[in-house]
Amino acid sequence: MSDKNSTTMVREVAKGETILTVSGLKKTYGKLEVLRDIDLNIKKGEVICVLGPSGSGKSTMLRCLNLLELPTAGKIELKGEVVFDGGKPKNLDELRRETGMVFQSFNLFPNMTAKGNVSIAQIRVRGRKKSEADKRSIEQLSKVGLDEKVDEYPDRLSGGQQQRVAIARALAMDPEIMLFDEVTSALDPELVKGVLDVMRGLADSGMTMICVTHEIGFAREVADRVIFMDEGYIVEEGSPDQVIGDPREERTRQFLGLVLDH
Amino acid sequence: MDVFFDTFFNFQFMADHFDVVWQGFIVTLKLSVVGGIAALIWGLILAVLRQLPGKWLAPVRWIVIAYIDCLRGIPLLLVILLLSSGLAIMATEGAIPKEIGIPQWFGESDPFWYGVFALTLTYGAYMAEVYRAGIEAVPRGQTEAARSLGMSHGQAMRFVIIPQAVRKVIPPLLNDYIALMKDTALVSVIGLVEAVQAGRDLYSEFYNPSGYTLGAFFFLIVTIPLARFVDRLIKKQNEKFQRGMP
Repeated sequence: MSDKNSTTMVREVAKGETILTVSGLKKTYGKLEVLRDIDLNIKKGEVICVLGPSGSGKSTMLRCLNLLELPTAGKIELKGEVVFDGGKPKNLDELRRETGMVFQSFNLFPNMTAKGNVSIAQIRVRGRKKSEADKRSIEQLSKVGLDEKVDEYPDRLSGGQQQRVAIARALAMDPEIMLFDEVTSALDPELVKGVLDVMRGLADSGMTMICVTHEIGFAREVADRVIFMDEGYIVEEGSPDQVIGDPREERTRQFLGLVLDH
Repeated sequence: MDVFFDTFFNFQFMADHFDVVWQGFIVTLKLSVVGGIAALIWGLILAVLRQLPGKWLAPVRWIVIAYIDCLRGIPLLLVILLLSSGLAIMATEGAIPKEIGIPQWFGESDPFWYGVFALTLTYGAYMAEVYRAGIEAVPRGQTEAARSLGMSHGQAMRFVIIPQAVRKVIPPLLNDYIALMKDTALVSVIGLVEAVQAGRDLYSEFYNPSGYTLGAFFFLIVTIPLARFVDRLIKKQNEKFQRGMP
């Protein structure tokens, strides 16, 4: 999914090679330590699901990866280029261009149609012509099953449809990595499946994905690696069968017990 | 009762001197349209400057905040007097070009343009605060979504935040606009003959205040429909809000 118009990130990363490296990541708000010491190595094509109780720092970690939150300390490298090493972000524009993000609350732009939402950043950031951007937008929207909704405004769409537009909007930028921040948590139960199906398809297509989620079933089925976080640490990571099926750590067992037992 | 009608609602008097008050009201309209549009634009510029991000632009934010605080805290009448006398003196002393110090652009008198300047400066400050409220009412997630797509702060403001903010604040902006229109009367102190001054001229000549009443009618013909329009807009926005829409 590399972009032909993008000349800045010349380096291509082959599937299975490291694409994103995080080391010693810390984030504090005053005295509150949200992230204590996170090390993470993500390979191209890998699907990672991050589990953990609320307040464990999983969303903050995700938001640090595209520097929506500025980490207090640590180092982030994307395709071997340092994008953060304390202080001011480097290559912030490239980082944001290479990472797509989908939010819990959709955050569609209410003043634009579905197509407009998907096109705007292609035109303004990628520099595509409006006609080309719109063509791609319609393609992306039909990929997420919304070919009939391209001209609707967000307030005429269901939560599930809005979230799929949000996914299409991020994908239209041809990102290398997709970040999903509890994208089904605000949805009515019957709308969750449609969104998860889109994410499943995306994972199958080889997209590198980091999903903060409460959908244990999804994690088990789709993830290559599951990370369990608590109190700002990565407590345990491994294959879904191991972390979810046979957790080594007591805290992981406790959490899964509470989540699965209802 | 006859005295009452002869004093305030002397229709014969109004008919005889209709043209004087009407000419004055046209000046009022011109002043409120030109000054109003300038204030709407200047207010938006101030609001955007006030929202500039980062450490290095903090002085810009402080200056804008100080400006807004000062202009909101000074009577418009004082701004009009200060500006007209100040610019005129500077121009006659040669400190600034005459075209700016004593402006008579597009065939309008210099008091008219002093009025435009003063209204823009003062109402720009009021409207900047209204815009700011609108900008702050746009959910944070909108900025985050825009930034996560790679947009700069400026792009996020221009394409995502400002369009939503302006829509939210059209009713309060129109309210400020109505207030501005009424405040154009203050420009009469520096010699501009607008609707109110036209009534005064008639009163001092004929000792009858019906010219004022006629001026009031003219104002109401514009301001009441505007106020009703604002109410309808607010009602529509509330309905939308109650349906759970942004």
